[in-house]
Amino acid sequence: MPIHRLISCSAMSETYPTHELQYSSARHQAESAISGMWLFLATEVLFFGALLLTWIYARHWNQAGFDAGAQQTNLAIGTVNTVILLASSFVYSAGVAFMEAGNSRRLVQCCATAWALGMAFLILKFGIEWRDDFAKHLFPGSDFAIQGPLNGGARIFFEFYFLGTALHGLHMIGGLMLVGWIIWRARRGDFSSAFYTPVTVVGLYWSFVDIVWIVLYPLIYLVGRGP
Amino acid sequence: MTPRFRRLWQALGLLLVLLAVELGMSFLPLNRGARPLVLIPAVAMVGIVGATFMEVRRGPGIVRLFAGAALLWLTILLGLGSLDPMTRTDYDVRDLSAK
Amino acid sequence: MSATTIDGPGVAGSYLTDGFTIRSWLLTTDHKRIAPLYLGTITLFFFVGVAAAALIRYDLLVPEGMIESAETYNRLFTMHGVVMVWFFLIPAVPVTLGNFVVPLMLGARDLAFPKLNLASWYLFVVAGIVVLYALFAGGVDTGWTFYTPLASSYSQGHVVATVVGIFLAGFSSIATGLNFIVSIHRLRAPGMTWYRMPVFLWSLYATSVIMVLATPVLAMTLLLLSFERIFHIGVFDPALGGDPLLFQHLFWFYSHPAVYVMILPGFGVISEIIPAFSRKELFGYKFVVWCSIAIAVISFLVWGHHMFVAGTSLYSALVFSILSYMVAVPSAIKVFNWIGTMHKGFIRFDAPMLYALGFIGLFTVGGLTGLFVAALAADVHLTQTYFVVAHFHYVMVGGMVSAFFAGLHYWWTKITGRMYPEMWGRAGALIIFIGFNLTFFPQFILGYLGMPRRYHSYPPEFEVLNVLSSAGATILAVGYLLPLAYLTWSLFYGERASANPWGATGLEWRTPSPPLTDNFDETPVVTEPPYAYPPPDLVQRHV
Repeated sequence: MPIHRLISCSAMSETYPTHELQYSSARHQAESAISGMWLFLATEVLFFGALLLTWIYARHWNQAGFDAGAQQTNLAIGTVNTVILLASSFVYSAGVAFMEAGNSRRLVQCCATAWALGMAFLILKFGIEWRDDFAKHLFPGSDFAIQGPLNGGARIFFEFYFLGTALHGLHMIGGLMLVGWIIWRARRGDFSSAFYTPVTVVGLYWSFVDIVWIVLYPLIYLVGRGP
Repeated sequence: MTPRFRRLWQALGLLLVLLAVELGMSFLPLNRGARPLVLIPAVAMVGIVGATFMEVRRGPGIVRLFAGAALLWLTILLGLGSLDPMTRTDYDVRDLSAK
Repeated sequence: MSATTIDGPGVAGSYLTDGFTIRSWLLTTDHKRIAPLYLGTITLFFFVGVAAAALIRYDLLVPEGMIESAETYNRLFTMHGVVMVWFFLIPAVPVTLGNFVVPLMLGARDLAFPKLNLASWYLFVVAGIVVLYALFAGGVDTGWTFYTPLASSYSQGHVVATVVGIFLAGFSSIATGLNFIVSIHRLRAPGMTWYRMPVFLWSLYATSVIMVLATPVLAMTLLLLSFERIFHIGVFDPALGGDPLLFQHLFWFYSHPAVYVMILPGFGVISEIIPAFSRKELFGYKFVVWCSIAIAVISFLVWGHHMFVAGTSLYSALVFSILSYMVAVPSAIKVFNWIGTMHKGFIRFDAPMLYALGFIGLFTVGGLTGLFVAALAADVHLTQTYFVVAHFHYVMVGGMVSAFFAGLHYWWTKITGRMYPEMWGRAGALIIFIGFNLTFFPQFILGYLGMPRRYHSYPPEFEVLNVLSSAGATILAVGYLLPLAYLTWSLFYGERASANPWGATGLEWRTPSPPLTDNFDETPVVTEPPYAYPPPDLVQRHV
């Protein structure tokens, strides 16, 4: 069986960064990195999915209490935070589009804006909303605000609320670190229109964290609310 | 404005509209069992973020395979997982707070 | 089969001679070095699990239990389960044989994400340290299944520590699976279409799909269990509005597919060995391939069969029972394909083949007995008895461990450049087969007669069968210690091996034994289907 040398036809591999030995070109490696991130995000879908099943069970067995708890959530902050995250995801994606055209400066501006919006989300959520929730005795501890027959369901609702937002928050903090890393690398001049794979990969993660919130928001603020 | 940016702005606009719809729906007098319908706009929003911001349609084919697999398996988890509580006979237990 | 010293290590250099410092091993990103790092780690865990098993069988020698404390016994079987499941069976073939062989079989220079590969090993080691700490600090008494409310509310053991260790091991698993999936999609050599891939690759692909999609659910489940235990959040506590069955649903959503993570790589190994030692192409390649994928998918639909008597609705139990019957079909098809491969083949009974033949018989028994417990009415009597214990040990130990040893012996020359002593290999395979059957066949009978599992003592009428089982366990232990001894011996004194001592097909056999660091000088091009062995009549003429 003849063994031939594999010839790379991609222009990218000559001008731009070297690729690892197991790849045939820089583009081959870039697409594999993007695929890897999508697969990782699939695992995250299942991770949060298990939490969603918990929501389904908890609400099924305690509908009245669960919804009673939901009505105590801060709809204003929740909605503003949703808008903030949608904008943040939008701005980062715009940054990726700029980078595709070679505009590293605009990329940095967009990333910085996305970062600031993300930070605003965290401050609103943990600095203001959670603080308010504790003050109103909504943390399911010994002095929980909702007593009586609705106590069980309301407690579980708030456990879901605090756990879900905490996990989401942790993912956001990770995302902020990644976006910060992209800003640092971009300012160093690491990216060009021929190579900006890390920008895309971090953008996928950042948009995914937005998706998690898009699902959490109605589960927390909207389903249990109503006239 | 290039097509890409136009699509991004359109997506953002659509997302905000869907958010408003979702918010509006939550104030409708739906009964407890129907309340989860409020999630429908949210699902659409997820699709828009995936299609436009994350460009799931661009990139190598396996990206769509992975995204599709994630959704399919999530459906299995939530669907088949809900089968038991939805069909279980709930025998009434006397007031537990009397323990 | 004699091996000549054409290109052993030291002659042209290999991945083994490419750096002798500890640093070059601990900071390697070479998949061929990460594989032996893993092999050492899982061997250690295997023997920890074996030690726990030895103490279990020792306890069960007499009806009142040799070990006085039921609590101690509970901790023993929990540790046995936790260590064997998460620290041996789930990683075993993928991280050792998979890591080593997959890039070679693909015709690639390494996996898609080599640094992630190294990170997965470190995660695994840290996870193992945490679990060993929990073990030596006193252990857990909940069973490897951690059912609530025992695990969440009443257990006095180190539940959270153990669960943290498993959580970390889970991420190691996800990393490995992710690496394999992307590698198989993206790094196949030119000419290697999907249908030209050896079945080992398809099997690891199917395994990786399960690893990647099921393990995250386990991660969340363990997180919720820890919160329930530490903060009494109540999602699993009916007094607080929770549902203890939610834990079981979440746990088994992962743990049932996990058993296919354990067995699918074994199927892949057997699918390589049977053609090689029958000198005949795999019968029904496409069937075998698509059955692997079918198993991966259907495995996610059957978890409720672990919960038939737990209190789920009868309707859902019915659905799960029917789906469980469906999942057995692809496995059975594979068995027919292996037998079809051997039919009119030219069979050699070297150690890998002996292990493979043992696998086919033992796995078939285990698989068929799974159908007994998948039937609702039968399961009411058989569940939580030794029948179930025997069933899963037949598939996991008789099946998977045999397959692991088969693969280890098959690819040993490729990994180490040395040949193991063949007669000792065959002896080990036979001793394991005999010891295994003596240990576990009596347990089918015990379960049928009603002996429950997870009890440190039992009614006196079960004594004879238990003594037989424990006697078998002693023989089995000898069978396991033998390869440890002679494989280690072969590292220093074994005959040096040629590139392809078995005369097998596959790109990995076109590299020297052991391979060079970069695997291939030039990227190979594939033009033939896999298992291109000569037609049987041609072979016969040369006999």
